[in-house]
Amino acid sequence: MAGNDAFFDGFLDDYYAESEEHLTAAADTLLRLDKLIGQPAAERAAVDDLFRYFHTLKAISAMVELKPAEVLAHHLEHYLRAIRDGENALTAGGTDLLIEGTRRLEQIISAHRTQTALPAINDVVAGVASLIRVAARPAADSPERSSEDRRWICTFVPTKELLASGFGVDAIRKRLAEIGTIVDATPRVGPNATISFEFTLLVPYSVDVVQQLIDVPVTVQAETTVNAAVEGTALPIGSDASAPAASGTGTSLSHVVRVDLSRLDHLMQSVGDMVISRARLSDSLTRIERHVPAVEWRAVQENAVAIDRQLRMLRESIMRVRLVPVGEIFRRMPFVVRDLARENGKKVQLELRGQTTEIDKYLIERLMDPVLHLVRNAVSHGIEAPDVRLAEGKKPEGTITLTAAAVGDVVTLEVADDGRGVDVAAVVEKAREAGLTIPAGALDVSDILNILCAPGFSTKRETDRESGRGVGMAVVKETIEQLSGTVTLDTEPGQGTRYILQLPVTLAIADALIGRVGVESFAIPQGSVREVIDVPEADIRQLEQNEIAPYRDGALPIIRLARIFGIPDSPAGHVHVFVTGTGSNAVGIAVDRIVGQREIVVRTIADPLVRVDGVSGATDLGDGRVVLILDPAVLGRLARQRTPRAIGDAAAWGRLRAFK
Amino acid sequence: MHTILVVDDSPTIRKMVRASLQAVPSAQFIEAPTGLEAIEQLAVARVDVIVLDLNMPDMHGIDVLKFVRRNSRYKHIPIVVLTTRGDDSSRKAAEEAGATSYLTKPFAPQVLSGTVQELLNATVDSGAQR
Repeated sequence: MAGNDAFFDGFLDDYYAESEEHLTAAADTLLRLDKLIGQPAAERAAVDDLFRYFHTLKAISAMVELKPAEVLAHHLEHYLRAIRDGENALTAGGTDLLIEGTRRLEQIISAHRTQTALPAINDVVAGVASLIRVAARPAADSPERSSEDRRWICTFVPTKELLASGFGVDAIRKRLAEIGTIVDATPRVGPNATISFEFTLLVPYSVDVVQQLIDVPVTVQAETTVNAAVEGTALPIGSDASAPAASGTGTSLSHVVRVDLSRLDHLMQSVGDMVISRARLSDSLTRIERHVPAVEWRAVQENAVAIDRQLRMLRESIMRVRLVPVGEIFRRMPFVVRDLARENGKKVQLELRGQTTEIDKYLIERLMDPVLHLVRNAVSHGIEAPDVRLAEGKKPEGTITLTAAAVGDVVTLEVADDGRGVDVAAVVEKAREAGLTIPAGALDVSDILNILCAPGFSTKRETDRESGRGVGMAVVKETIEQLSGTVTLDTEPGQGTRYILQLPVTLAIADALIGRVGVESFAIPQGSVREVIDVPEADIRQLEQNEIAPYRDGALPIIRLARIFGIPDSPAGHVHVFVTGTGSNAVGIAVDRIVGQREIVVRTIADPLVRVDGVSGATDLGDGRVVLILDPAVLGRLARQRTPRAIGDAAAWGRLRAFK
Repeated sequence: MHTILVVDDSPTIRKMVRASLQAVPSAQFIEAPTGLEAIEQLAVARVDVIVLDLNMPDMHGIDVLKFVRRNSRYKHIPIVVLTTRGDDSSRKAAEEAGATSYLTKPFAPQVLSGTVQELLNATVDSGAQR
C-alpha cells in the first residue's frame, strides 16, 4: 500500500506499544498451554486468544508496512486457525514453534525500532507450513458442562449515567465472568427500542448469584423463568428520544490511557516544586506568626494544613499513576529459564509470586537486567544437574522462586533457588587469584556478597554466554544502589541461594527523617530507618578503628556524621542513632539532634565532580538551605570496610559544600 | 456534526482510523473495543456511521452487523466493514449480513475517508425522511 508510509509513520510508537502487549499476552498464554493438556475447554480458549493476538499483530504490522512481521504473524495465525477448526492437533513441537515465532516477532519489531537488520523468518514459516500439512485430527469434542451448574440470565440495560459511573457492558461482562462462566452474550432490543444485553451465566448451585450481584445494575433470573426475546417496535424516527445528544467530544470506552513517561516525570517535577514552595511558605508563615492576630492566624493555619493534605494526596495519586505491576519483569523470565535450562541440561521449575506488586515504571525498566542476571546465575550456577540433585537426595527438578512484595514504601524482590548454595571456599580462592583483598577472619554472607560483587570477579573461568555479557554481579549491585536500594545475600551450602533486593517504591519524593549535626542538617530516607534510639556516650566503645554500641544483645557499628564529614559537633552526653540495615549489615548513624520527619523532594547529584559516596542526593527543606540526603546502604558498607577516612575525603566534602 | 463509531479491538487501528477520518468535515468520534460495547454506544449516543472490524473478542463483527440490520431503529446506519485482507468468505458473510461497504487492512487513509464521506453525503441526501 504505497503512499501510506508517511501517513502512518506517526503511529509507530502506538504500534510498538500495542504489539508488545499482544506479544507479552501471547507468551503468557503459550507458557500456560503445557499445563492445559487434557482440559479441552481451557485449551480451546487459549488457542482462541492466541489466534486473536496474532491476527491483530498481522493487521497492525500490515498497517505500518512491516512486511516480515505481517507474514510471520499470518503463518502463526493460520496454524492456530487450523487448530481451532479441529484440522490440526496442537503438539509439543507446535507449541515450541509458536514460542519461537513469538520471539522472532519480538526481534523483528525491536530491530525495526532500532533500525537494525531484521532477522529472517523462513525457518519458522517453513516449520509452521510443515506442521499444517501433517494429518488432521478429528474435531474436538464439545466443552464439558457440569450438572452442578445452574444457568442464570442476567440482563443489563445500558444508560449514559451507568456508563459514566463505570457500569459499561464490558465492566458488567467482566464482573459476571468472575462469578461464573458466560456461555452466551446477546444484545436485544425491547418494546421501547431500548437496547439490553442478555448474558447466560453458568454458576455452581452453591453460589448465591443474587447476593453476588447485589451491587451490580443487572436483573437476574434463573433460566426457566426467562421470556423469549421480543423484537422491538421502533420509536417514530426523529423523536426526541432517538437523539440523546452525543455531546461535544467523542467518548472512548477504553478505560486505559497510554501516557508518555516523560509527561508523568514532568508532572511529578511540578509537584516536587510545589512541595518545596509549600515548605517555603510554611517557613515564612512561622516567621510572621507573631505579627498576625490569633483569630486570623487560625484561618491561615487551617488553610495551610489543608494545602498540606491536598498536596500529599496529589503526590500520592501521581505516584500511583506511575506504578506498574512488577509482573512486567517476571513475564520474560519463564522464557529465559526454559532456554537456559535446556542448554545446560538442567530441569528447572520457575515459581512467580507477588506479580501484582506495583512499583514505579522507572524502576521496572532498570530492574530488568539485574533480575535477569540473578535468574541466569541461579540456573547456570545455582541449580545442579538432575543426576547431582538425585545423588543428594533432592528432586531432580530444581526450583527458582521469584518473589515481589511491597511493605510501606519499600519493595522487596527475591530471587531464590534450591541449588547448591555459594561455595565459599571457591569464592575466596578465586578472589585471591583475582588479587582482591579479603577480610581476615570468618566471612559472613555480607562479606561474601561484597566479594561476589567486586568488579573483576567471576567464578567461571571462561565467560559463558549467560553470565558473560558484561552484566556481572558488580553491575547488579551498582544498579540497585543507584536506585537507592540494597542487595543482600542468604546462602546455605546444599540448600540454596537467595538474593534479596530492597528498593524504595518511588524515587522522586520520599518521607525522610531529618537529623542535625552541629550546624548541618541531613536527611535519611524513612524507609531505610528501622528504629531510632538514644545512646549515652558512655555506652559507646572503641573497637579498632570503629565505634560500637550495645544493641539488642549484640553490637551496632556507629557512624558519626560529624567525624565523617568533618563537622564540629556539640557533645551532649548522648547521641541519637538511626538504625538502618539488618543483620550483619546493620549500622547506626549518629546525629546530635533529630529535627523531625519531612516530605523531601529528591534531587540526585548527577555531576561526578561533586558526587560523594554515602550521599545520594540533595533536597531543599523550604528554608532555602540545601540538605544532603544520605544513602545508608553505602554509608554502612563504607563503615564496614573499616576505613573511616574513605568518606572523610576532605576534598570531596569541600566540593560538595561549594555545590551547596 | 457527524458521529462516527469506530469499532476495533486494536487501539492502534482505532487511532489510525480516526486520523484518516480527520479529513471528514465536522466529524466526531466514539470508540468501542468490542462488539458488545459498540452496541452499547448505539444505545447511549446517536451514531451516523460505523467503521467495524470483524475479528473481535466476545462478539464477532458479523453479529454486530446482524444486530444492527435486524432493528428498525438502527438499520439505516451505514456500516463500513474494515477487516484484515485475504479472507474471502468473510467478505461474502459481511455483505450478506448487511455491510454497506467492505474495505481491507492495510487500508489507504484517503480510501477510507472517501468511503465514509460518500456514505455521510448519501445519508444527508435521504435525510428528509428522518
